[in-house]
Amino acid sequence: MSRFVPFVIALIASAALVTFPTWTSQWESSRYATTILRDMLVLAILALSLDLLIGTAGMPSLGHAAFFGAGAYAAAIAGQRLGESLLVGMAAAILVSAAFAAVIGFFAVRAAGIFFLMLTLAFAQMVFAIAFQATDLTGGSNGFSGVQRPLLGGLDFSGPDDLYHLVAALFLAIVLLVWRLRSSTYGRALVGLRENERRMRALGYNTTRLRLSVFVLAGAIAGVAGQLSAYSIRFVSTNDVGVGRSIEAFVAVLIGGSGTLLGPVVGAIVVLYIERVLPSSIAFAETVLGIVFIVFVLAARRGIVGVAAAAFVRARR
Amino acid sequence: MIETVDLRRDFGAIKALAGVSLSVADGERRAIIGPNGAGKTTLFNVLTGELAPSGGRVIFAGEDVTGLRPHQLAHRGLARMYQRNELFDPLSARTNVAIAIGAKAGPYRPFRAPPASERALADELLERVGLPGRGDIPARALSHGERRQLELALALAQGPRLLLLDEPTAGMSPAETERIARLVASLDRSITLVIVEHDMDVVFRLAERITVLHEGRVIADGSPDAVRGDRQVNEVYLGKVLV
Repeated sequence: MSRFVPFVIALIASAALVTFPTWTSQWESSRYATTILRDMLVLAILALSLDLLIGTAGMPSLGHAAFFGAGAYAAAIAGQRLGESLLVGMAAAILVSAAFAAVIGFFAVRAAGIFFLMLTLAFAQMVFAIAFQATDLTGGSNGFSGVQRPLLGGLDFSGPDDLYHLVAALFLAIVLLVWRLRSSTYGRALVGLRENERRMRALGYNTTRLRLSVFVLAGAIAGVAGQLSAYSIRFVSTNDVGVGRSIEAFVAVLIGGSGTLLGPVVGAIVVLYIERVLPSSIAFAETVLGIVFIVFVLAARRGIVGVAAAAFVRARR
Repeated sequence: MIETVDLRRDFGAIKALAGVSLSVADGERRAIIGPNGAGKTTLFNVLTGELAPSGGRVIFAGEDVTGLRPHQLAHRGLARMYQRNELFDPLSARTNVAIAIGAKAGPYRPFRAPPASERALADELLERVGLPGRGDIPARALSHGERRQLELALALAQGPRLLLLDEPTAGMSPAETERIARLVASLDRSITLVIVEHDMDVVFRLAERITVLHEGRVIADGSPDAVRGDRQVNEVYLGKVLV
């Protein structure tokens, strides 16, 4: 019974999420809300993948946009040159972002803590420079516009609601994937890595390989987020590989609560709400994000979900 | 089981190990003693692969393992109990042990929950080291003595052939010391033991052979009685410990 309830709640919430454009169609701002929610889910996928590094394995990366951008450009270029198949676009996004993560990770995972952070930042800036200069492929500073939205068999995702369904479905699939990973033997080893790498080595875990594996995995998932971003706004720019995007995801993870499954999702929603919705009602909305971030770093390092979970545990005693 | 040949390790101008040669037979219980700074922990760090030697060789079960990394040595059957506990602090005692048990099968089982057999085996080991019913307690909430016991459980969970114990009874109460000493004494002969220890009661009770290190060199190596009677050993170490 008690195991059944969360499952039912999750199922209802998932159904409500995927059908959002349908049951809000009477709203005046349904189209706008769907667009915002779609972008929130894309950022949530990026934040979920980043939190595999930050929260689970204890590897704070400030270069995650490199893989988001690699996936976005790969999907855009594949759509232009290889046709509109969703699967081809996804294969391109995953392979290219994973390849970038493998190369960068090969060097970066040998460092830890602040040095790992700085290395990921430096490598991501190199990827940014490549995107900026490879004008033939990426459009350089003009960006890559007119990205083809994909097809899958008889399904056409070019309509806004159809694309939203695709984003929501992939978001749910990735939540499920990350949830499985975190509760698996692999996830347990990542936590061991975070808590005591020296002991992990002494126990017989090849920690360098383990760190590289999660770096590539997180990079590949970030690539899918980038692919969905490219389909969503039909445009890829160097902003998608820039440090701003990395920070956006990092802030989402910290505000929402690192090391939890829902934290990065909640964080992504909060960040995009402040960035996209708030400016229409108050002035200086951009500074709100900074203030919120400072408050969480100073007073609530476990983030929204971490604090809420602790309060819930206390209330049940 | 393990042998070192002229093993050296320098830290700048300091020769922490200045040519250590020793050989420990299969199933032996060997103690390594010596004053602080004699090189005991450095020796352990080199034997486990955490530190590369500056010179010399390490031979483990007939294989030259010099320069191998810690995880490679762990897979060959080497386990270590650290002097300062190296645990997974926020995780439960049971999960701590389960991670150690799972090391053999490796971490690449991304879609399977940890098998229930690991849990059962972890509880068995916790009981064996004197922590029955403590499986749900986070490692950081255990007492110092209990943390030492958990540290030993992690090492045993690896199913080692050679177990290096770095001051197993450090900071323990007499009752806890007694329990650990009895536990170590009862370990199966299929596990070779090398013990660094300052408690001489424990050393003379457990060890069949004692190696004395001083300033990175072996100054005596023999039976407990021979070492106790050695004049140089008494001068540099035992004379001060056994007043």
